[in-house]
Parts: sequence; C-alpha cells; structure tokens
Amino acid sequence: MPFLAHGSHRIRYELDGPQGAPAYVLVNGLTQYSELWAAYRDALTARGFRVATFDLLGQGASDKPELFISQGDQVEALRLLIGELGDGPIFLGGISFGGVIALRYAIEHRDRLSGLVPMSAFAELSPQLLLLGNALRTGLVLGGTGYLQDLLLPMNLSDSWLKPLLGNLDAVKRQGWLINDVYALQNLMESFLDFQPLTPLLPSIRTPTMILNGEFDFLTPRCLHETLRTGIPDSSLVIIPNAYHAFTLEKAALTADLLARFAEDVLAKRWQGNKSVWIAPEEAGGAMIPFPAGYDHLRAMPVQKAAP
Amino acid sequence: MNQFLGPLDAAGRVPPQQQARVASFLISAHGALARQLAVALPGQLKAGWQTELNAQLHREAEIVSLLMRSTAWVPDFTLPYHALTLEAAWLPKPVAGVADQKLATTIDIAALGHAVHGAIRPAALLPVEASAEDPFVLALRRIEFESSRLIQAQIHFLKSDELKPVRDAVSAAVESRHRQVRKLWADLLEGIGIRRDAENE
Repeated sequence: MPFLAHGSHRIRYELDGPQGAPAYVLVNGLTQYSELWAAYRDALTARGFRVATFDLLGQGASDKPELFISQGDQVEALRLLIGELGDGPIFLGGISFGGVIALRYAIEHRDRLSGLVPMSAFAELSPQLLLLGNALRTGLVLGGTGYLQDLLLPMNLSDSWLKPLLGNLDAVKRQGWLINDVYALQNLMESFLDFQPLTPLLPSIRTPTMILNGEFDFLTPRCLHETLRTGIPDSSLVIIPNAYHAFTLEKAALTADLLARFAEDVLAKRWQGNKSVWIAPEEAGGAMIPFPAGYDHLRAMPVQKAAP
Repeated sequence: MNQFLGPLDAAGRVPPQQQARVASFLISAHGALARQLAVALPGQLKAGWQTELNAQLHREAEIVSLLMRSTAWVPDFTLPYHALTLEAAWLPKPVAGVADQKLATTIDIAALGHAVHGAIRPAALLPVEASAEDPFVLALRRIEFESSRLIQAQIHFLKSDELKPVRDAVSAAVESRHRQVRKLWADLLEGIGIRRDAENE
C-alpha cells in the first residue's frame, strides 16, 4: 500500500488503470474512506481512465493529526497525489467535504486540471448548513462515530437503499466506524471553524466543470450548487434524479458513467458548459435531458421562472 | 496474528488471558489519569472548563472500578513487569519549550489524556460475534464510548487560545504521547496475538 509524505504525515493512496491515460482523482467525503470508490475504479478503468483515490489526512489509513488539520493541508495532499500522475489530463471529482477540497484545489492550481466535478458540494456555509454542521459535530462528540453515522444515513440515502438494509445497519456502519477515530473526524469538522466563503473565487476556475447535485439533497440543497453554477464560467449543473446527498454510494454506476462521459466530452472538445442545467438519466447510459425551459430549477414544484 | 480478540467461547466471551492483559493496560492508563487529575484539580475551581475535569476524575475512577469487576481475571506472571513498564510510561514529563513548569506539566497530562482517550479503542477489538450480554464486552464498549466524551476536556484545553503562543510545543507533546501510547498498546496486543491493520500498514 503506497503512501505520500506531507511533512511528518503519511497519506495512503491507490492508483489503478493504465499509466499515461487521462486520470480521474476522487476525493472522499467526511466519514468516508477510499475503498468506497471501488466501483468507480472498476467502471472508469474499464473506460480507459487511470483512477487515483486516497484517504484524506485524518481518515482511514492515512495519518490522523492529533489536534489540527487545515483544509490547506488536504489541498497539499491532493497536490502531491496529482504530482504522482505525470503531465497528462487530470479530472478531479470530490463529494461533499471532498468537493470543497476539490474546489480549493481548482482555485489554487487552475491550470493543472482538465475537468472538475464537485458533487454534493458547496462554496459557502449557509445558515442551515452551518447549524446542521454544528449539530452533527455535537452528535459526534456526545454519541461517537456510530451516532454520527446514525444521523447521516437517513439524511443522505434514500428509502429504497435503506429499506433492505434496515435489519443489518450495524454491518453497513462497521467499517466506517472501525477505520475512523472520533478525534480525527472532529478535527476534520473543525477545519470549517475558520472557513471563508469560496464564492468570490469561483470565477477564477476556468476549467470545464460538471456540478452534480442529488434531486433530494437535504444537507447541501440546490441553492448551494447554484452558487457554483453561477460562479464558475464553464460549468453546468446536473441534477441526479431520486438521489440524496450521498448519491456516489447509492448510484455508483450512474455517477461513474456521468464522470466518464464528461471527461470524454472534454477530451473530444465537445463539452460546452454555458452554465446550463440538466437532468441526468435514471440509469447509466441514458440520455441527459435539458431542464425544461421557463421553469425554475431551484424549486421543488414546477414553478415558472420570474421574467428577468 | 488476528485483527480482533478471540477466538470467542461458545457464549461469545473473550478468552480470560486476553481479558486480563487488556484490562490491566486500561486500568493502568485510566488509573494514572485519575491520579494525575486528583493532584492537578484545584480545591476551588477557577475556570468553567475545570468542571469537566472534576467529572473526568470520577469517570476515570469508574472505568477502573468497572474493569476490576467485569474482567475474568486469571494468573499472568508477566503482569507485574508490564505494570511497571506502563506506570513508568505514564509519569508526567514537563513539555519542552514551555518556560512555566506547571503549565508544561499540565500540557503533558492533557496530552496523555488525549492519547489514551483518542488512540486506544478497545471496542474496536471486539469481533461482531462478541456477546452483548458479557460484562467485559460491555465494559470495553462503555470505555470507548466514554473516551470520546472525556477527550473533549483535553481538546478544549490543548486547542485553547491560552496555548496559542506555544502551539508547536503542544502539538509536538501530543504527537509524542500518541506515539508512545500507540506503541505500548500495539505491543500489548501483539502479546495476545492481535495486530490491527492500520498499525500494520
């Protein structure tokens, strides 16, 4: 198992797929670990991509700094990993917390990326997100990792995913509970204590950007993704139907297909962001549908847009 | 080497020799924290966060009491040697780079508490088949659960603005105590045939 060195800390990473191929780098969410991208490794390497995954500092098999982890350290870890991939095209995707780290990387290293895919991400802490984050942190402190998982599972996954697992949720939670330590998760959460909005910096991201948002994402709702869409010039927003915040877990085949299609379009110079809004297909390989003209994609009801 | 305690008996209990070794380590570590807190805690509390330390003193004592009563003790001739090694390891060492010796010692005590509560996860040693009715199994789960709350006092103190001027010294002290505690814990586990994956890698 290879490790990168960032100061005295080790960062566990994995590379799969052919050397020299366009690469996808995938960044974990808060309570995740890199093995959760296994289905993406398989799907994307089968489409000819190289895939790089890693555990953030404070997660999984990477070192867990005891007191402080800054988001700058995570961006530096990402820079080191991308440095391992040579000079070829790099596509960067990140989910939730990892989406924020990916945005930060894109802002700081704008020339290195061929494409960016923030998923269930945000550039600023809305009052709802701030208060939810505080409540989740309190849940972690008082109830441990298991309780945080208990809160996140129903918030971030659909009934259809949860229902067959209801009798066996402890098994679903066990690996995440085993591999993540409370103090380290707390440090990751507290890296938001001095968070400054990225919104003013978004226009500096010139990279083609596909923003993915679950239709029913409760934790990071549409309005937070809208900030990304309106701020990033060459972007488009793709709404994943019947999906919640953790759709990368629930709809891995569909999401991996969307990632591959995005990168193929960019490499073939077919990509046109135009700050457009799309609805993803229900299944991998299906057609993308433009969001109906004249309707407001920020509403949950078919409300017509107000005239400009 | 296994990743978890066991093999369990038919009733889902951990082998007594493993129980005794694990319990002796935890009693030594949490007992040391209780003693250090008893000495460090002022007779009259001066700051709000010290109320947490008072609670912590009694919870550490509770952990020791719980393990004494829930462990299936068996004779183990290595215990005196292990106990001496551990007790020597827990002795306070004033942190280098902090001129105020009282503060330097307090930082070390907090660093040890952070390491014991953060790095030692006894419940993560239990296989899924462990009996939910066994007192030792429940004790390990309770200790890990309590540790994630107890560590909050150390986090609050070690990350406080008061220590900002000596943050590098504080970080180095916490890192050093974590390294020491992890090594002692890993050595103990290896003695009963357990090696955790993350420590392996």
